[in-house]
Amino acid sequence: AAMLPALRRCRPGSVPLPALAAALGPGPFPGLCPGWSPRAVPVRGRKPRHDPPAKSKAGRVKLPPPVDPEELLVVLERYRQYRLVLSALRAEFRAEVLQRKREERLAAEGSVEELEEHRRLMAWNDEENARQRARREERFKKEEEEQKRRKLEIAEKQARKMEAFQEEKEKEVLQLQEEAKNFITPENLEARIEECLDNPRNYNFAIDKDGRIVKRTVLS
Amino acid sequence: MAMKGRFPVRRTLQYLSQGEVVFKSSVKVMTVNYNTAGELSEGARKFVFFNIPQIQYKNPRVQIMLFRNMTPSPFLRFYLDNGEQVLVDVEDKTNKEITEHIKKILGKSKEMLEKEERERKKLSHPSTFGPKKYHLRECMCEIEGQVPCPSVVPLPKEMRGKYKAAMKNEA
Repeated sequence: AAMLPALRRCRPGSVPLPALAAALGPGPFPGLCPGWSPRAVPVRGRKPRHDPPAKSKAGRVKLPPPVDPEELLVVLERYRQYRLVLSALRAEFRAEVLQRKREERLAAEGSVEELEEHRRLMAWNDEENARQRARREERFKKEEEEQKRRKLEIAEKQARKMEAFQEEKEKEVLQLQEEAKNFITPENLEARIEECLDNPRNYNFAIDKDGRIVKRTVLS
Repeated sequence: MAMKGRFPVRRTLQYLSQGEVVFKSSVKVMTVNYNTAGELSEGARKFVFFNIPQIQYKNPRVQIMLFRNMTPSPFLRFYLDNGEQVLVDVEDKTNKEITEHIKKILGKSKEMLEKEERERKKLSHPSTFGPKKYHLRECMCEIEGQVPCPSVVPLPKEMRGKYKAAMKNEA
């Protein structure tokens, strides 16, 4: 027999059977075996799953419907061809529809006006970028100038500070020089002492609120 | 309803559907380079914060990538399906200006959007009824002016089968 599962079932001896069922005979085809063993019970109707089969069904042997091999072969072959043709047709139609959709989409997008439009917009975008670049460069220039100006200012300030400082220092030096003239050195020590002793200074005076000397007491 | 984030209005459907930018089908990827600090990036930051959810909602098939603090100045870059790259400089622009700009160069025009809307409407007839997925109404009882659904309002006696059968039996 062919390698078809339906036919395999009908081959003699292919399915192990208890001797009792074999003795009873499967029916119209002696020697052919049933597809199901008599113990396997299909769909449950009224009974719960844990109930055993009824006693009246003890020796029941269920047989699959009888199969004519040649008819089966012919029928299967015809079905196979039919399904093949149908699926091929379906695939063909599907491909055609997709193709048409794709073409329509491409036609809608790849049209000349669209490309033109796109190029125009890209050009406009480039101009916009160029304008932005110009603005940015201006900004950078301004910032650089600002920075330079600030640096100059700072340098000037520094210079001015240095100058002021130097002037201060010079003034102090001059002041000191001036005072140095009146210093008492070992050479004119004696002369100065003589001078002081010769001119006694009288600090005994009173002043009023305006700073004028009011009264002088005689030096004793 | 949960309010999450600094501006939860960005998560509402109404806000998202108010986005105006619908990209042409040739745009595949949008890349935004911006900085998290600096005055010049302010517009780009606002754009990323407020407008990108709207754009993504309207263009679910476009990939959007954000890069932070990688370049000194902010810009947008679009990658089209023919390999072309479009650069948009957004330094010193407000987020409104940026959206206007990209709507102009790469967005579908209003006429195109309306045309698409009309095409979509043509596919389905509004007066038929059937499953909710394909039609507006499921049953005749939903249409104004028709007999209301008997599950809500009982039918008058004369329209009911058992009354009619009883009448027939009587007669």
